[in-house]
Amino acid sequence: MELGIALDLSEPGVSTGTWDELARLAEERGLALVVLTASDGRESVPEGGGAAASGEPSGEGAAAEQPATAGLDPWTAATWLAGRTSSIGIGVPLPDLRAESSHDAVTPYPMVVAKAGESFDLLAPGRLLTDAAAWVHAPRGASAEELSVLAGQGRPVVVPVDSEQEVRRLADLVSGAPRVVRPQRSLAVRARRRPGIDYESVPESLAGLAVEPGDPGYRGVASNYLRAGSPGLVLRPGTPDEVADALGYARRHTHLPLGIRSAGHGVSGRSTNKGGLVVDLRRMNGIEVLDPARRLVRIGPGATWKQVSAALHPHGWAIGSGDYGGVGVGGLATAGGIGLLGRAHGLTIDHLRGVELVLADGSQVRASADEHPELFWAFRGAGANFGVGTAFEFEADRIGQVGHAELTFVTTDIEKSLADYGRIASEAPRDTTVFLVTGRPRQGQWTVQLFGVVDNPDPEVIVERLTPFAQIGLLAQQQVVVTPYMGVMGSAADVGPEGHQGFGQPVSRSAFLPRLTPEFARDAADLLRSGRVYFFELRAMGGAIADVPSGEMAFPHRASAFQVTAMGANDGSINQVWDPLRHHFDGLYLSFETDPRPERLHDAFPPAVLERLREIKRHYDPNNLFRDNFNIDPHPDARTAPSGAVKS
Amino acid sequence: MSDYGHDLLFGSFITPSASGAQQAVELAVTSDRSGLDLVTFQDHPYQASFLDTSTLLAYVAARTENVHISANVTSLPLRPPAVLARAAASLDILSGGRFELGIGAGAFWEGIAAMGGRSLTAAQGVEALREAITVIRDLWDTDTRGGVRHHGQYYQVNGAKRGPRPAHDIAVWVGAYKPRMLALTGSVGDGWLPSMEYLPRGVESLPEMNARIDEAAEGAGRSPSDVRRLMNFMNVQFSPASGGLLNGPAEAWAEQIAALALEHGLSAFIIGGDDRATIERFGAEVAPAARDMVARERGR
Repeated sequence: MELGIALDLSEPGVSTGTWDELARLAEERGLALVVLTASDGRESVPEGGGAAASGEPSGEGAAAEQPATAGLDPWTAATWLAGRTSSIGIGVPLPDLRAESSHDAVTPYPMVVAKAGESFDLLAPGRLLTDAAAWVHAPRGASAEELSVLAGQGRPVVVPVDSEQEVRRLADLVSGAPRVVRPQRSLAVRARRRPGIDYESVPESLAGLAVEPGDPGYRGVASNYLRAGSPGLVLRPGTPDEVADALGYARRHTHLPLGIRSAGHGVSGRSTNKGGLVVDLRRMNGIEVLDPARRLVRIGPGATWKQVSAALHPHGWAIGSGDYGGVGVGGLATAGGIGLLGRAHGLTIDHLRGVELVLADGSQVRASADEHPELFWAFRGAGANFGVGTAFEFEADRIGQVGHAELTFVTTDIEKSLADYGRIASEAPRDTTVFLVTGRPRQGQWTVQLFGVVDNPDPEVIVERLTPFAQIGLLAQQQVVVTPYMGVMGSAADVGPEGHQGFGQPVSRSAFLPRLTPEFARDAADLLRSGRVYFFELRAMGGAIADVPSGEMAFPHRASAFQVTAMGANDGSINQVWDPLRHHFDGLYLSFETDPRPERLHDAFPPAVLERLREIKRHYDPNNLFRDNFNIDPHPDARTAPSGAVKS
Repeated sequence: MSDYGHDLLFGSFITPSASGAQQAVELAVTSDRSGLDLVTFQDHPYQASFLDTSTLLAYVAARTENVHISANVTSLPLRPPAVLARAAASLDILSGGRFELGIGAGAFWEGIAAMGGRSLTAAQGVEALREAITVIRDLWDTDTRGGVRHHGQYYQVNGAKRGPRPAHDIAVWVGAYKPRMLALTGSVGDGWLPSMEYLPRGVESLPEMNARIDEAAEGAGRSPSDVRRLMNFMNVQFSPASGGLLNGPAEAWAEQIAALALEHGLSAFIIGGDDRATIERFGAEVAPAARDMVARERGR
């Protein structure tokens, strides 16, 4: 039996010193909870929204027993008590606020209220309960029998008290009761659990590091780089066996979203969710050399490319990897990896020689050119649909010093700048890969940034390669350095236990462009003039990327000259300006795409590729466990999922 | 050239950092133990890296004994006045009369809109603040019978229950820079709470800004000394050699503070920097020395 005390906010002349003492005594004597109640019928909302909106009685006609003045603000009182005590749960019932803001003087803003709750948790982790269903009220002076009957509901029972004597009486009842094994998590943490999740059955191998919404570390694992998330449970496996345990648990929760997260930097942010499961692989970040002669390395999915570049640097090796060192290995090595070494050395997936993965049924397999070759084909481009990669074997390239350029231009003629860039970037020798980034105009001017790598250590060659780009606008800033590849990836911030703090939901569109035509430059200029795209990027492809036959892996967009990304405020706004450009495009890169419309799947995978992927999906994930990122439904025509048993 | 005669107050301005929540609390406890009179926190609900200031204030009040607590300053557009009044009064009761209400018309309107608040022009913001102060004081006034009714341009209150009654007269300190806001401060504020770094010409702006407040106070039938003059100093440092305002040895700090009090009427000195050692020295060395100088000078 768990017991707590209830303190009344509306008792006139409440002596607060007494309050503090009662709460401290309750804590000392092992009671579970202090609940704040308002007997004057006010609903409580954080920071003083005690007024039940504006229709409050004005004194006349109010119930006679109601005090003439409002009692203490529950949120302020709860926070105060949290500061006056150190471990006891604090219960303060909060109603759901209307989502829309009113501009009256008595209703707080829902987002401010939500933030107040988060702040409480940061100040006093694992102590706040806001759901009144988490406890049961007993009448003042309830007898031991009455209390044990109420406790039969499995929830803590709270009793109104106003003296130390009453607190002691309750405490004696608890210490006299048969001891239950104390749960690992406090009452307040358990009260934050989300529906539909069997928290008690988390496999033992994962229970120690699993994070629930009420846990102190939750804020650091909930969100991604660009996307706010609020999963119901985050599992953090460290070995393939633990990944298999996590997937077994996921198979018992197929009604919930399932995110597989490497480092949480994905633009679309699909590896987090609301109320579902996240399998966070950040602990699996080992990097080891398997065979120095063949430059074979084995890397865990949770490693970041910054870590990889630093580990390979002493050997004089590198693996091309996007354009930012904070990105994780798993996401890039399953989707593509269009990076600053792309034209010189190809995509990240082009260097994969083998992968160890855990399948939907929990079995562990190795896929390579001669083991599960079909799976290996599918994994390179559509990996998220087929399994959780636990180790990636790459063949690194021998790469010494490179030229790393960041050039900033100002232009009033964005159409000409785009066209010039497109021509120069495509005509450049394959040792040169340059990306373009721009956004909204300001006073009719665009700031255009070029980020590039020249795979050559000679400063004269580097300058020669970059010189043609200098004509795309008025050069405002330039930084060109000769550095190992580690220096290109090294500027990324390290993400510590704080995790990512993505805000809202990213809205991003992606496309592959076969050629950057004058018509595209014109239409893209219109898109940018609309002001609805705050981030616009062109990533130069070609060179070594195009050397690989398009049928070699499930990444068929080999002939593209550029990958285009545009980010905006919301789907409606960006579709209006982006959709008219579609006739220029041929496919999309799924990592940078958040459009929820189902036809996008067909942009990511042309018909023949998609059909082959479905075939492989039917074999390796017939029940569609991995379905939260560009899902390749194994049975698109079936109304319901097949009842085909999964091996367990 | 005016000294309004207020007792001197010394305070800290602490960053309400979400990633260093316990550190912010520790700096407040240090301020309390160092004998400072005030602990203050900026209020920017739309700033993701900050804690919710009203929650932090209640927690810090519970963790301290003597120091008074205030936002510096509350962002009114995201804190509806009745909500604010009850939270303030409640914390004043709980803390034994240690809460003060620093308040501003709002800044960063884009951030305010992103949190669901409404965007106002500067002129509308001033009027909304004037209304809000009226509503807040009405709610605190439990001697008047009946509920609070307010039908203004910006806020509606239909018979809200009064109270709770604060434990002491909570001061309303207004963050103000522009003429209209200075006039509002003089006519209804209990104090003026700007930051030295934001005054157009630093110390040289004080005579003119003080004069605007004085004029408005007199115009409202009040005395200029009804409005305390507080000041934040963000960039401060103890160093062996004097290098500018509150940048030098402790004696130099004390002399500068005494001069600001006697010549410009400033009576509350609130320092930023988030540094424990600086807070301790401010309380232990600067405050007593500055108080002595001002007392001696005023006693002549």
